[in-house]
Amino acid sequence: MANITADKEKTAAAGFNRPLRLTVTEDLRGFIAVKVGHSLLFLTTFVSVVAVFLIFFFVIKEAIPFLFKGGLSEFWARMSEFSTSLNWYPHNEEHPEFGALTIFVASLYVTVCSLLIAVPVGLLAAIFLSDIAPFGLRQVCKPVIEILAAIPSVAYGVFAVMVVAPWMQNKLGFSTGTNVLNASLILSLMALPTIISVAEDALSAIGREIREASYGLGATRAETMIKVVLPAAHSGIIAAVILGMMRAIGETMVVWMASGQSAQIPSPWWDLSQSVRTMTGTIAQEMGEVAKDTDPYYVLFAIGVVLLIFTFILNMISEFFMSRFKKTVRGH
Amino acid sequence: MFEVSEITEKTKSESLTMESIPISKQSEATAGKIKLDGPASASQPETPITPERAIIQSRDFSFFYGSKMGVEKINMDIEIGSVTAIIGPSGCGKSTFLRSINRMNDLIPQTRAEGVLSVGGQDIYDKSTNLVNLRQQVGMVFQRPNPFAKSIYDNITYGPKLQGIRSKAKLDEIVERCLKAGAIWDEVKDDLQKSALALSGGQQQRLCIARTLATMPKVILMDEPCSALDPLATARIEDLIAELKGTYTIVIVTHNMQQAARVSDRTAFFCLGKLVEYGMTDKLFTNPREQATEDYITGRFG
Amino acid sequence: MRIQIRQTWNHLFTVFSSMSVVLMVAALLLFLVPMLGKGMSAVFFRGTVEFRKMQHDLYGLGSESTLQKEIAATQAARDDIYAIFDRFSRGIDTDLLAGEAKRLYRDHGDELRYQNVPKDEYTALRKQAKGIRNHLMDAFESVDKAEIFEHLDAVEAFKSDASLKGTSVEKLIAMAADYRNIAETVDFSKRADYAEELDAVEEELFRLFGPRPGVERALAMESYGATRWDVVQKHLHQLVWQESWVLSEDGQQMVQKQVRRDDPKEGSFAGTQLAPMFALVEETVSETLRPRRTFYWRYFVQDSTPGHYFGGVGPEILGTLLLTVLAMCFAVPLGVISAAYLVEYAGENWVIKIIRVCINTLAGVPSIVYGLFGLAFFVEYVTAKQKCITSASMTLALLVLPVIIRASEEAIRAVPRTYREAAMGLGAGKFRTFATVTLPAAGPGILTGIILSLSRAAGETAPILFAGAVALGPIPDFAGKWWFQPTRALSYGCHDITVGDKLAMMVPHNQYGMVMTLILLVLCLNIVAIVIRSRMSKKLRGY
Repeated sequence: MANITADKEKTAAAGFNRPLRLTVTEDLRGFIAVKVGHSLLFLTTFVSVVAVFLIFFFVIKEAIPFLFKGGLSEFWARMSEFSTSLNWYPHNEEHPEFGALTIFVASLYVTVCSLLIAVPVGLLAAIFLSDIAPFGLRQVCKPVIEILAAIPSVAYGVFAVMVVAPWMQNKLGFSTGTNVLNASLILSLMALPTIISVAEDALSAIGREIREASYGLGATRAETMIKVVLPAAHSGIIAAVILGMMRAIGETMVVWMASGQSAQIPSPWWDLSQSVRTMTGTIAQEMGEVAKDTDPYYVLFAIGVVLLIFTFILNMISEFFMSRFKKTVRGH
Repeated sequence: MFEVSEITEKTKSESLTMESIPISKQSEATAGKIKLDGPASASQPETPITPERAIIQSRDFSFFYGSKMGVEKINMDIEIGSVTAIIGPSGCGKSTFLRSINRMNDLIPQTRAEGVLSVGGQDIYDKSTNLVNLRQQVGMVFQRPNPFAKSIYDNITYGPKLQGIRSKAKLDEIVERCLKAGAIWDEVKDDLQKSALALSGGQQQRLCIARTLATMPKVILMDEPCSALDPLATARIEDLIAELKGTYTIVIVTHNMQQAARVSDRTAFFCLGKLVEYGMTDKLFTNPREQATEDYITGRFG
Repeated sequence: MRIQIRQTWNHLFTVFSSMSVVLMVAALLLFLVPMLGKGMSAVFFRGTVEFRKMQHDLYGLGSESTLQKEIAATQAARDDIYAIFDRFSRGIDTDLLAGEAKRLYRDHGDELRYQNVPKDEYTALRKQAKGIRNHLMDAFESVDKAEIFEHLDAVEAFKSDASLKGTSVEKLIAMAADYRNIAETVDFSKRADYAEELDAVEEELFRLFGPRPGVERALAMESYGATRWDVVQKHLHQLVWQESWVLSEDGQQMVQKQVRRDDPKEGSFAGTQLAPMFALVEETVSETLRPRRTFYWRYFVQDSTPGHYFGGVGPEILGTLLLTVLAMCFAVPLGVISAAYLVEYAGENWVIKIIRVCINTLAGVPSIVYGLFGLAFFVEYVTAKQKCITSASMTLALLVLPVIIRASEEAIRAVPRTYREAAMGLGAGKFRTFATVTLPAAGPGILTGIILSLSRAAGETAPILFAGAVALGPIPDFAGKWWFQPTRALSYGCHDITVGDKLAMMVPHNQYGMVMTLILLVLCLNIVAIVIRSRMSKKLRGY
């Protein structure tokens, strides 16, 4: 039964010339440094949280006067006008109308159209990059995707207005060059890099073993990909599509410049050559024209709130699928 | 040998960094009261280590990763100036125990220690431990050579610089001495500014040992230092260990039983997180006391 | 047989997959080639003497004396063209001649009064002069050749009258002789057509050569002719060629056809005295405008005036740099420290989970909502209701914050744990380990992230729309509080010159030029990032 104090004196002979025990001042200073440093770091990191709350708070705050202007009785009327009416005349002096349904529909319309192009192309490209392309080609394609993602949206917008629009008018005979088709084409180009990179990550994460198993059973590459790998990676791919959707619905400059800015629902509904006006386009266009603290100003923030909530929900969904995918991969 | 007194002030300031060393008012008192329960009855070697020779003392030391047990109730003394090998099958907790000795496991989140593990008489899991001084004096060599992506010179001087040595002449002297002690001087002396990553694996590992020596440790922990090396490089490391013996206390974890037999004075056999047998190396390999030890060294499992 | 079908499917699958990538690359090329190609013409082109004149007048560049010599030389060449034109247009646009005749008649009266001629003699002389003038005016108005010559004969009858020597009336008679020459060559029945065409020709000459010497125009954009060779060619073509509707075949529809104005058969000036001018302009264009290869690097430095008509994108580049660099000053410390905290210090508790969710949310917020937030918070509460560089760059900083956090986190996580262990094993504390080992090792990765977010910030338009970007405005005043002033920016400028700025729409090379500048800036930043990344992987291998 040895007592450590006794040991300590004896083992001092072992020659630890720098004390293994903290002195009281060292201990105190260390304690303070750790606490202060830790809380400073934490506060810095917490800025992101504060920022999110500030964004929600201030955008909603500016939208509230629109909805609650006439008290609770008028609230429902305003809400129903805002969300169900097709008449968007906020600048009418006598009878301003704030029916934003046209705008919501247009946003969805353009987004869905662009995804119809971007998702098949993006998925096939992701499959190509993860399973078909030789290493060298992949090294070439990666920067291409990066550049595609890096080009500023306003540059795409200029391209849409100055190159695509005249082409559509002259060669396709559309009455206006800035229309749903133009905006969707460019948007799909912008959503592609997101979809490709996330989907490719998902496909690669599935691992070689499952592919080898399928090849070993005599399946061709197409069969392996479609019947084994894609189902295994489906959560990751759904997340990729949703992220692409977020990119498309939140994009401002391209739809502002390329979609033609007329608040209408195309009729017939499949006519892609007509102009529309999306949520982001409306905000960008009209914020420069409205006077501060008027109804047209507040209603733009209300559209902003809708946009914010929409993307927030999409974000949550994509995160849900992402985490589910990570669990699946870890499970393998 | 450089002056210790000169650097004491700097060394103290080291502890001012972001270490998790909360103050403990009872640190003095607790340390004094700790009883080392029993000299680890069954597993003590036949040639007993007297307390004054025991640089590391472990009493009922257990370590947990979350809820998972790493090692359980280890009782073991390690003699100063000797080479002690720890062998055992994979996942038996030998690395865990080794890494506990200089609290390297702190890097892994949600870990917890119980019992007493004292180095030089200081319970190192006590809040009063000066971790900086502990790690400087209980150096570690890792499984894979891990030089920094800096020059050879900067790799060696990293530790001394932390201790506040700034003089170029002194640093040069340390570099030469440590590289010589690490038996790598002849190979690198022409270009000390070369990136350490450009060396071969064996050279990198000897550089890492030299780097460890530069902080003037008393104890060197080696975590399977040769597992990533070829036989020739392994032989050189083993020679090096033999040279360092006596000056430093070396604890080496190894998979390779021949290596343990070649380099160590004492060997401990771990199995399933427990210390099964601990004794003089030749005794343990020729005439093991426990059936499990015999099964392992004769290759029946592991 | 079945195996063959499966094989075919497999091949089809491969082909389609490859096609999608080809499609993507093609789309990128389809975008980059016209944008960069046309944009380059803002910098590389053949500048004419008008360009050098403009650069000298507006920006004080080039040597005065050489420029004056050049202008004198070109003016000499242009005078021949103007001479032909003026001569012809006198016959067509007779209002000018009529005015001159009236003026001479008035001068005559003044002369007589000055000479104190007795009253009845005065009346007689005035009557005579009036008769001459009226004949002349009638000749100018008439489109019938016989009638014209009749009137001119009547005027020229006074030619021999010695009493008229040295008076303004003599000049009137000289005008008649002059007009006779013109009248002999002009088909007066087409005078109205000529007049209309002549206006177009004059307009094109003005576009080519700028205002006549001595004529001052108030607007800078109207003070210079064609400054660039491509513009010269465009206007030269419009000067020489006309569009006319012709019958391709009998009984068929009329088709539009390009015809030379001096074409002997169909040209509108066929056989007139003006006809030689077109050939002359074509032949002497290199003398009259002196095109020279120009590398207009000042495009990236110069201010533009008026609007974006002349000059470059200097202020836009400066504004973009100010905005992005300031944004980085806010975002980089926050981002890197946050990442370090998340990797090195934070455990996995609910607070950290909330922080992570918030960072992801921040990354998903649409850029236009950032714009709204910048307007509602930064402009309103931080910069005292002033739309300025600070509020705009703070908005941008918030936008790139999640990008920097993610990139830094990834870079710090990628540093092998053995590095950290090695440093700790040598007795470095947690902070010191991070500062001396982890951070340098993660440095290139973090730098890559910073550069990429810099390029993202430079390209974003929506967040700065309402927070401090203007399409046209003064350059920030560095002597004063520049951070409280709004600024121009490349991204917003690109939008404005495409859909807003009417002046810029007249000069497509400047439109494309600005977009090219933005794309080049972003591409360069990305290439730097890619290079750093590949260097980094090399360095980790130890070369």
